[in-house]
Amino acid sequence: MITLGIDVGSLTAKAVLMDGDKIIEKHLISVGYNSKTAADKLLSELLDKAFIERKAIAKVVATGYGRNSIGFADKATTEIICHGKGIHFLLPEVRTIIDIGGQDSKVIVLDGNGTVANFVMNDKCAAGTGRFLDVMARAMETEINDFGPLALKGKNPSEISSVCTVFAESEIISLVAKGEKREDITSGIHFSIARRIVSMVKRVGLIPPLAMSGGVALNVGLIHALESILETPVSTTPLSQFSGALGAALLAQEL
Amino acid sequence: MKENKALRRFREVAAAPYDYLRNLKTVTGKEMIGSTCSYTPEELIIAAGAHPFRIFGESKGLSHADAHLQAYGCSMVRGMLEDGLSGSLDFIDGVVFSHACDSIQRLSDIWRLNVKSLHFDVLLPVKLDTPLAKSYFTKVIGRFKKDLEKSFSIEISESEMKKAIHVMNELRNNLIRLYTLQSQYPGFISGSDISAIVKASMVMEKQEAVDLLTHILDEAGEIKLADMPSNPKRILISGSICSHPDISRIIEGKNAVVVWDDLCSGTRYFEGLVPDDKEPLEAIASRFTSRYVCPAKHLGVEFQMENLKKLITQHKVDAVLFMFLKFCEPFSFDYPDIKKALEKMKIPFLMVEMDRHNGVDEQMRTRIDTMLEIL
Repeated sequence: MITLGIDVGSLTAKAVLMDGDKIIEKHLISVGYNSKTAADKLLSELLDKAFIERKAIAKVVATGYGRNSIGFADKATTEIICHGKGIHFLLPEVRTIIDIGGQDSKVIVLDGNGTVANFVMNDKCAAGTGRFLDVMARAMETEINDFGPLALKGKNPSEISSVCTVFAESEIISLVAKGEKREDITSGIHFSIARRIVSMVKRVGLIPPLAMSGGVALNVGLIHALESILETPVSTTPLSQFSGALGAALLAQEL
Repeated sequence: MKENKALRRFREVAAAPYDYLRNLKTVTGKEMIGSTCSYTPEELIIAAGAHPFRIFGESKGLSHADAHLQAYGCSMVRGMLEDGLSGSLDFIDGVVFSHACDSIQRLSDIWRLNVKSLHFDVLLPVKLDTPLAKSYFTKVIGRFKKDLEKSFSIEISESEMKKAIHVMNELRNNLIRLYTLQSQYPGFISGSDISAIVKASMVMEKQEAVDLLTHILDEAGEIKLADMPSNPKRILISGSICSHPDISRIIEGKNAVVVWDDLCSGTRYFEGLVPDDKEPLEAIASRFTSRYVCPAKHLGVEFQMENLKKLITQHKVDAVLFMFLKFCEPFSFDYPDIKKALEKMKIPFLMVEMDRHNGVDEQMRTRIDTMLEIL
């Protein structure tokens, strides 16, 4: 049975097409003002990419912030459940997941069967989210894709004490004025966000192995900072950005 | 349940409580006495010929209150002050401040200096469940009676007090019946309608609320099981205030029903009856000293847990949703220990913090949805 999982987040919309337990296609686009329009566009581009017709898809599960506005979905499930499902499929041993999205961050604990047992979510503050990294990369005049590798070059991470995105930006401007190295400031930024995430991990209680999902899992600088503070390896997968959509497609297989 | 006139009336009053009160004052000429907490002896206000109502603090955009209260204070208290300062309570004659929490005590001071109205303080004892507290509180209530008599130049008779006790007990009995029915037949009425009924009952003339509720309860006698959700998850909401209709909609959208609550905007308003065979002042005091104690009058986490456990068992609760007002300290202080105890009991739960003036956003919805999807 062919199923579609669609994850409409605050910044990007992702789709995964599955046939049984085989991923047959995936696609990602930016979300603009209207999440419903984004979902329609995502579906039509995915169908073209996979050379299949809409009627070939038996079931659709939607997830992400836009999940309730996707008219063609058979069911809406939260991204917390879907990320758990998707990561469990890709990395079956994993018990704790850090998911950093565009506008929030979550720590999810799974039981041995991949079912969500507990979760904690930071949803009121940009610090500790993908948006924070975007703003900081801009402040450092760096492309977001180069931001993580630049952080790895920092030997003496600068101390970023502010917990607020707006104030952290002005703190960074002061560090630049003081002449601190660009890579050290960048490394400091990554450690500051990692400390925020670690406090959430501690609140929910870390059960290893640990993995990271969501777009920010592509940032090697953050993975390094998290591993240094938690003193435990953080697994990722090339499909980290798609793990929510993948989980949704898997749930659709169960409908 | 089917639409009916009584339900529509409750919804109307809950949507615009101050319009109802303004009109009531014009029609009846009664003094309008606002209250800030469920520890208000409303019976005495009724016996004095005045009308008691709850101040909700629902003003949008706090421009006046923030000149007096810090932004990191309880949003309900800030909202109540805004109501007072902005003119939306232009019909009030007086306000009763029952000193339950620190924020309400300070609100009383600020109100006295800045809002022109009769001012009554009801000084709750620190402990509420001891014999000494009972005799002290009886005196406090006696003092409140004298303050009312002096302010209105009247004498409150024993028969008027007994009449007021009777109507308030009728209202409480009806609200308890409504909640009990929802626990027995979860979903026979929507959660947002239950919230509207309790909220409107805090505002309306009590006899009117009693009559409307009796009508609703009589109609509910014909509950059709086929019209109700099948095997919904049973949720208990615990915390300070939760009257946002969206919360009920989110919960009900996931085939779950709030079967009971432990909220200031819910059962804490009507829990416990005033004994009608005792001297009225002592009887009113005994209701407050023998019922559930609000966390603002901390009795220890064990006490809170016992109460929660009782509700969980009694109403076969599947999960607990804690709804706290941001910066409401009494609840936040207890929460870490309650969390540990619930984890031990393996009862699923979720805590969300709300600001009185913000709606339910997608992030909050994601958290509530997830808890319900896990069940």
